[in-house]
Amino acid sequence: MASAAITSWDRQRRRAFFWGLFPALAVLAVITVAPAVYLVVTSLTPLNLTNPVQTGLDFSDPLRNYREAIADYRFRNSVWVQVKLSLATVVAQVLIGLGLALLLNARSKLLEAIRTAFLIPMVLPPIVVALIWKIIYSPDVSPMHRLLEFVGFPVRSLITQADTALWAIAVADTWEWFPFTMLIILASLQMVPDEPLEAAKIDGATSYQSFWYVVLPYIQPAIIVAALFRLIDSVKAFPLIYVLTNGGPGQVTEVTNYFAFVQAFNFSYWGYASAIATMLVAGVFLLSWLLRRLDQAGQRDE
Amino acid sequence: MSTIWRMSRRSLLGSTAALGSTLILPGKAPAQGGAKPFAGTTLNISSWSAPYAKWLQEYLPEFTELTGIEVNYDTPGFAVYNQQVDLELSTGGSAYDVANITFIYTSRWIGAGWFTPLDDFYNDPNKTPDEFDAADFLNGTQLPMRDAEGRTYGFSWVADAMHAGASRFDIMEEAGFGMPKSFDELMAMVPEIHKVKGVSAFTAENHHGWIFPPIMQAFGGNVFVDPPHNIMPALDTPEVHEASRWYVDLQNNYGPDGWLAQTYDQTVNVLKQGRANYCLFNQPFLMQMGAPDSKTKETCAFAMYPEGPKGKFPGLAVHGWGIPTGARNKDASWEFIKWAVGKDLMMRMLEEKGYGAVTRRSVIESPKFKEVNMVNGYDVGDIYLRTIGLAEQGHMAYRTVHVYPQANAQINKAIEMIASGQATPEEAWRQAQENAIADIRRAGVDL
Repeated sequence: MASAAITSWDRQRRRAFFWGLFPALAVLAVITVAPAVYLVVTSLTPLNLTNPVQTGLDFSDPLRNYREAIADYRFRNSVWVQVKLSLATVVAQVLIGLGLALLLNARSKLLEAIRTAFLIPMVLPPIVVALIWKIIYSPDVSPMHRLLEFVGFPVRSLITQADTALWAIAVADTWEWFPFTMLIILASLQMVPDEPLEAAKIDGATSYQSFWYVVLPYIQPAIIVAALFRLIDSVKAFPLIYVLTNGGPGQVTEVTNYFAFVQAFNFSYWGYASAIATMLVAGVFLLSWLLRRLDQAGQRDE
Repeated sequence: MSTIWRMSRRSLLGSTAALGSTLILPGKAPAQGGAKPFAGTTLNISSWSAPYAKWLQEYLPEFTELTGIEVNYDTPGFAVYNQQVDLELSTGGSAYDVANITFIYTSRWIGAGWFTPLDDFYNDPNKTPDEFDAADFLNGTQLPMRDAEGRTYGFSWVADAMHAGASRFDIMEEAGFGMPKSFDELMAMVPEIHKVKGVSAFTAENHHGWIFPPIMQAFGGNVFVDPPHNIMPALDTPEVHEASRWYVDLQNNYGPDGWLAQTYDQTVNVLKQGRANYCLFNQPFLMQMGAPDSKTKETCAFAMYPEGPKGKFPGLAVHGWGIPTGARNKDASWEFIKWAVGKDLMMRMLEEKGYGAVTRRSVIESPKFKEVNMVNGYDVGDIYLRTIGLAEQGHMAYRTVHVYPQANAQINKAIEMIASGQATPEEAWRQAQENAIADIRRAGVDL
């Protein structure tokens, strides 16, 4: 009897949770799940907006777009470009963010002002950031190019050379987003308790040893979260590429989402672009899951 | 009237005759009577940021005063405009009441039924007065605005003809050169004037899909095998290899650093500031060298597009106003088009803004056209007319193929790859050909 009452109470509680969550779940379904389902369904058709009636409901060869994408050198190249860009930017942003967070981890009004100044790139609209770097990278009007020429080190346009264009984008992206990693790591640094650091100091640990053996283990989860966020976000590096290079020269800076954008918006190949986008989303999910598993495994080892 | 002027008129008439004539009978003038039947209506209108489109914005308050119609008007960059409008049109959206019909999209947008036929508007005397005179538009500029049945979907506001210009002709003269008449003369000149007084010898915008095909054709190549009948891409040919080698050498050795990223507005600025000299570019852009705020207004020069080994094939593009199928108030939209390409406004823009790439015969034949198009002693109007005259060669047919945007993208990529040393011309064009075929087949075209 008591067990039945508990079960009934449990059922009621679950029902209450469900109806409490229902509005949020419904909104989520409408704005996230439905478009995602539509994306996947579209990817199974050769939908071309110049002929939507005939192509939009053609499911005769549902995997054709996927086969074509995998066979398409431009798609495979775009994935490789994405990997290079993501790795370069995430590593640079974490290292710079960590370094600056360590430098700025003290209580002073000057440092607070500097911290605030460092946040500016992150809060600028992405298109403004892209335009700033367009000026910096245009030899004609660039203060950077003029300065380098003045000091006797003239350099050619960085965004039109095949060997520098991607790294020029990476520098701009790093400038825009290192404040994010800095902010997360700084918040974590401020949570490190004083006692272990004082104990390490009494035991004669050097600054490097204190950082490596005491501080780093404390802030490691924050670094991983920051890196994970940036890794996922790096897949969306669109405005910089659109404004600075248009994916060029050639395909040197053509990341996967830009390639999908060209297929959809320049040629109206929405079926093909949807297949690329679906693979991109799957890749990001897989990556997130993998990193999460690695993080959990690391925590278990500790 | 000068000999040159007579020749220009002959050239113009010849070209329009060659392109075919159109009999359009304007109806009776509607009774206007000061009524404003569309007062309170708001139109959303967009075009890419051509000089005409930007100048037109200054006249919009007059349109509102005349008709009571408010206008939301924007002029994004060329690529952005085309992407925005292409998407909107393809979904049958009603975001635009009037939109520019971009030349390379004419076949695609009109063929897909995304624009409204205007015949019922301009042939209806209750909607269009006699003064509009649809037959006054140059036939060649209206042809891309029609479908196979001859229905008209747009009225052209520009014949964007490619000319040669020099911002620092003084440097060229000092080195003993005139405006080059051929590619050989151009190549002989650029080493002698490059970086003289810090000025790059050559420049052009980075829309290679516009700048490069005339060079390709001048070397005997083409974008498609026989457009518009045979639209198999013809990008991987010895002629195209040679043309790209010539063009990339010219730009890499004698162009400004960063030319691969130099957009059309940047190119205009480079010319107006005198930082680069000889340029192959559209007439409305080159004309800005003669503007009051240009540092090169007293040193600029103009000429016909130079001749390559196989002839002279300057680019010629036409853009026009049209009414998207999804537009909600088409009658009000038509009021705008009538006004925007009306004789009065076109003549005023010629007089007040120096707008020379006009599309109305009556404006071209006016004395004012010649007067306004005299820039720094050069008769740019004559160059314009003779360039339009070259349209009778039919070399612009490639640009009206509905899958040209796909080929355009591959031309851009190939030039970038060659210029940045990633591929030889042979490698780049082989890849461009393969990609263009794959992209065009994806559109459902049997090649």
